[in-house]
Amino acid sequence: MNVVVGSKRTVILRSIVRYSFIAVVCLLVIFPLYWMVVTAIQPPEVTLAYPPVLYPKSPNVLGFQQLFHDKPMGRWLLNSGFVASLTTLITTTFSILGAYAISWFKWNGKFIFGMMLLFTQMLPEALIVIPIYKIYSKYHLVNSLPALSLIHAAFVIPVGVWILRPAFESIPKEVSEAAQIDGCDYLQLLRKIIIPLCSPAILAVGVVAFFASWGDYLLAVTMISKQELYPASVGLASTMSQLNTPIQELLSGALIYGLPPVILYMFIQKYIISGLTAGAIKG
Amino acid sequence: MKKLASPRIPTQRTKIGSSKNLPYLLIVPICILSFTLVLYPIVQGIWISLTDKTLGAEIGKKVNFVGLDNYAGLAHNSAFLASVRITTLYALINVVASVGAGLITALLVNRKFRGRGGVRALLTAPWAFPDIASVIIFIWILNSAFGIIGVVSQYLPFDTSGGWLTSSPYAFISIIGMSMWKTFPFYSIVILSALQGVPEDLLEAATVDGAGPIQRFKSVTLPSIKPTMYLLGLLAFIFAFRQFSMIYLTTGGGPERDTETLVVSVYNTAFKYYDYAVSSAIGVAGLAITFAASLGFLILQNRTARRDKR
Repeated sequence: MNVVVGSKRTVILRSIVRYSFIAVVCLLVIFPLYWMVVTAIQPPEVTLAYPPVLYPKSPNVLGFQQLFHDKPMGRWLLNSGFVASLTTLITTTFSILGAYAISWFKWNGKFIFGMMLLFTQMLPEALIVIPIYKIYSKYHLVNSLPALSLIHAAFVIPVGVWILRPAFESIPKEVSEAAQIDGCDYLQLLRKIIIPLCSPAILAVGVVAFFASWGDYLLAVTMISKQELYPASVGLASTMSQLNTPIQELLSGALIYGLPPVILYMFIQKYIISGLTAGAIKG
Repeated sequence: MKKLASPRIPTQRTKIGSSKNLPYLLIVPICILSFTLVLYPIVQGIWISLTDKTLGAEIGKKVNFVGLDNYAGLAHNSAFLASVRITTLYALINVVASVGAGLITALLVNRKFRGRGGVRALLTAPWAFPDIASVIIFIWILNSAFGIIGVVSQYLPFDTSGGWLTSSPYAFISIIGMSMWKTFPFYSIVILSALQGVPEDLLEAATVDGAGPIQRFKSVTLPSIKPTMYLLGLLAFIFAFRQFSMIYLTTGGGPERDTETLVVSVYNTAFKYYDYAVSSAIGVAGLAITFAASLGFLILQNRTARRDKR
């Protein structure tokens, strides 16, 4: 898009408008996050002062210390990490198999399978969380972190398959034919050729699965009722509903829980977008 | 979007059996998960919606089959009808405003400038930021005594003294604002990547033919990013429709039930009003909407794909 028409003055005017718009958008995006950091690292008496100060004054890490001291925050983060890791393992394994099936083979029921994935992907969990809870309590699976990660996996797998599918399809036929001539069977083809070649996309699926599970609140709060088993989302929400929690402590919690996914997503955004635009929902 | 006409590998016998059965074996794990944790619960939900079950009812109380009574009740249930209206409005605003803002941002960022990579990376941040952390930030920012927006808005010419999250229509505006913050930057980078596929020679040809920027957008850019726009429309719809924690933990569906979307209504009806059966009926109604929307999207997508092929 390098087509520019008009005189020099309009060109300059246009770029001023463009840059100011970009600046406003960036400010809108960053401000809530910036404000979280400011509130998390400054003492409450500065935070509650009027008029509000726009930059951190006399920064400290008391909020984090309090949080880890007053609440089992370390434990909650570990729980989240455990559930998310297990979800990642299940999701990547199952998605690889599923994506292999729909990208490399022709079979009856492929359309229905794709439809089922699409439907699961669109399904609001809140609509079926109560029946799932009933089933789980019947089989004594509530208050079990591995059982929770199974539900998470069930809901992320469709996304995983949609991200992997275009990557799997992009492998040239010649490569697979050469592998066949060398005596690879279908599973060896997957293991030795496809998985190594598609490792960036698989990594992206892993990150998506990890943080889908890490970010979940609804399923976790319904299935887990013991405080020591809370994932960080549920723990923080319970902290939030206690009126006496210091604001610095709360925002420190949001910071330490919310920042890791932001940082990792910046690295994998390319794969998510290509999965979305190229492969998503081809039926 | 090419469709594979034939299997990529010629059919032949292999060590693990013929490839005819292999795809079915490959999807077994996914199917087991889906059947037990998605489809079976749906069937359960449908079954409960046909009974008069309440939560926490005394043990031994018989649950009766009541047929479609719960659904008939929904048709006259003003809270349910209001919830459908709220959900529709919330979803529509999300689709139009977020995708629209994303498109404008993408068009403006789609030039080479210094720091472009940084801007793009920044734009993913809200999407990746977990719901509960966003909720904490917004409850704090919107706090009417100490929050920065809460305090600053006192100088604006509307009466927000009831609190941004606790009075109408500000509670609804707040949940819209939060979801826009989360989604539109992400949509803009998705559109941005689609814009890379707009044929440059066509744009140049259009300029030579004397087409202005708006005309160029309408006749060259828009047709080539159309599939992405459809996809984002669907994505925005799903996002709005399934959004639970950012509404439930900020407004709880209130004030009154003014921000109670369908998913929040399902939860409140079950756990606040203990009406298990009606909650399930609302859930099934929501499922029907979801199903219709995915089917509609598939049809739309297939039709445009076929037209493009011609």
